[in-house]
Amino acid sequence: MFFNLIREWLQAPFVNYRLFHNFTRQDFFSQFTASMGGVLWLFLTPIVHLVIYSFVFSYIFRMRAPPEFGEINFVIFLMIGYLPWFAFADAFGRAPNLVIEKAPLITKVVFPVQIIPITGTVIPYLTHIIGFTIFLVYLAFKGYMSVSWILLPFIFGLQFLFTLGLVAVISALCVFLRDLQQMIALMLTVWFFLTPIIYPISLIQNESVQRLFLLNPMHSFVSAYREIILLGTVSPVHLMIIVPVSIISYISGGWLFMRIKHAFGDVL
Amino acid sequence: MSKLPRITVENLNKEFRIYERPQDRLIELISRKPKHTLFKVLSDISFAVAEGKSFGIIGNNGAGKSTLLKILVGTLQPTSGNMAVQGQVAALLELGAGFHPEFSGRRNIFLNAALLGVSDENIVEMEKEIIEFSGLGNFIDRPVKTYSSGMYVRLAFSIATMVQPDILVIDEALSVGDMAFQKKCVQRMNKFREDEKTMVFCSHSMFHIQELCDTAIWIHEGRIKEIGDSNKVVADYEDFCNSSTTYNNIREDIPDGIENRKQSAQETEVQDCRINTVSVQTPDGEEVTEVVPLSTLVLKMEVEVLIDNMEGHFGFAFMRSSEEPLATFLTQNFEGVNRGPFQKGEILSITLVVESVAMRIGEFYVLGGMADKSGLLWYESKFSKRLTVAANKGVGAIIMKSAWTVEQN
Repeated sequence: MFFNLIREWLQAPFVNYRLFHNFTRQDFFSQFTASMGGVLWLFLTPIVHLVIYSFVFSYIFRMRAPPEFGEINFVIFLMIGYLPWFAFADAFGRAPNLVIEKAPLITKVVFPVQIIPITGTVIPYLTHIIGFTIFLVYLAFKGYMSVSWILLPFIFGLQFLFTLGLVAVISALCVFLRDLQQMIALMLTVWFFLTPIIYPISLIQNESVQRLFLLNPMHSFVSAYREIILLGTVSPVHLMIIVPVSIISYISGGWLFMRIKHAFGDVL
Repeated sequence: MSKLPRITVENLNKEFRIYERPQDRLIELISRKPKHTLFKVLSDISFAVAEGKSFGIIGNNGAGKSTLLKILVGTLQPTSGNMAVQGQVAALLELGAGFHPEFSGRRNIFLNAALLGVSDENIVEMEKEIIEFSGLGNFIDRPVKTYSSGMYVRLAFSIATMVQPDILVIDEALSVGDMAFQKKCVQRMNKFREDEKTMVFCSHSMFHIQELCDTAIWIHEGRIKEIGDSNKVVADYEDFCNSSTTYNNIREDIPDGIENRKQSAQETEVQDCRINTVSVQTPDGEEVTEVVPLSTLVLKMEVEVLIDNMEGHFGFAFMRSSEEPLATFLTQNFEGVNRGPFQKGEILSITLVVESVAMRIGEFYVLGGMADKSGLLWYESKFSKRLTVAANKGVGAIIMKSAWTVEQN
């Protein structure tokens, strides 16, 4: 039973490739078709955020990137953390509505519902990977490229699995508890400020508080990106957090979703 | 070859848990203390549908028909009982569920077919046929949100039937769409039956149930009231509806007065009249099912008067389908027909003699009806059994009484 559910979850995008493909294409392009600005809006939000954060932290607070990363503009330091975070935040923030939005479909048509959280996570990641890649190309030209960049897709993939697990859980639970929607939005804000994106972790003086941040997997992801891109290395402690946490999140989130998806019909 | 059952349902029950407040659901999950009230939608439903058969589901609104279909299709889980469905199922539970309003009809064909489990390659082959069948023409490349509801269902129906499922489940889909499309649908569904596919069909159109289904099930308040031959079940259901309807009570407005008001309040439960039988006979009084062209037919209807001082018109019509009349005969066109008032309890026998029936080919029904005094509002009608025109020589749709003379001067 347990393994069957897990297998169905793991195989979902491959067994139902056509459906997955169509769904992803549909939702990906519907981001652009309905509004005039289309693609513009997708990139405007992160750009505006980045400009504001750069202005506030780099110009007003005169924040500097920590010395261990060498002579580097704080904006670049900020962006390395912020762009992958934005992919995560986008997927996480949309999660509560994913299944609810598809209610008419779920109640009327039989199809593997697990496709929904998967496409719901793939789309923001696909969208934001574009921005991240452009940024990386820019950095490569500036001479930051190193062999360890090979690890980047791997880390990004793990971050995707980590997100997918959470999205599956949230999207399923929100069917039963609509209040979660408000909570998720709030949680996202808190999580953003508790992740050292707009500030370097080294700004925190107290070592034990710094260590507490290791409980936040997003901190490890952000730090891993920065270390790989800027220094060409990655501290094992971050990898030791990222790998198991991502896999556990992916598997257990999927399992929970598969366990309760049959009850969607009654509630929706 | 023995036919395997495609769908078997045994002692199926479905209950919905109703929570007064949404948080009760969570409290129950955590504390395991029941916080819900049960609402029983279906109880003890059992039936089987053999391969190649079509199965109709009828019943009042809220009887549980759609819930049953949803369970068959698999979007709802039964609370208890067994159910086995063999083969690929295509369901039309709602008009164009799964259509994305912003995308063109063509894009949606692919999307919808993927939902039904068809690969893109196969769909490319069917695409042209689907578009042709739906009759959407140039609209196929316009966003679906610009479609009328009829166009919506036409596209959905075209897709669902084109993918050639083993089992087709349809919920009230035929009631939308214009006459021409309804006809096409019925043809398509008949083709479906010829191909030995299984069909489950839920409708309020008794005509379609009778035409398209072999067996039918009548669900009343979540239970099987009757199951069997569709003609029989439909007849009993219509009978049941006629004896309980309240909305077809036509009364003239009586000037104010407490007495009258009281009376009318009581009488909202009672209808004006009931048509007991409609039959077609030869002049000798023999019931006919096959009509010889140019013969004389006697149309008879027996009406039971249920209120005092009933007045109205009678009518007969030859109908090709539930909505396509061939010929009509109304008493308002004739002087000297007894139009009442009739008193409660009277049984009226209405007879109409039709000479030289002009139909040369095809099948039709006789519809008997009662209208109000103005002759505009028909509030009771009943179909006869199906009549077939006997085979005869000639071409053309009608035949006329004629006499030849050839003179050689």
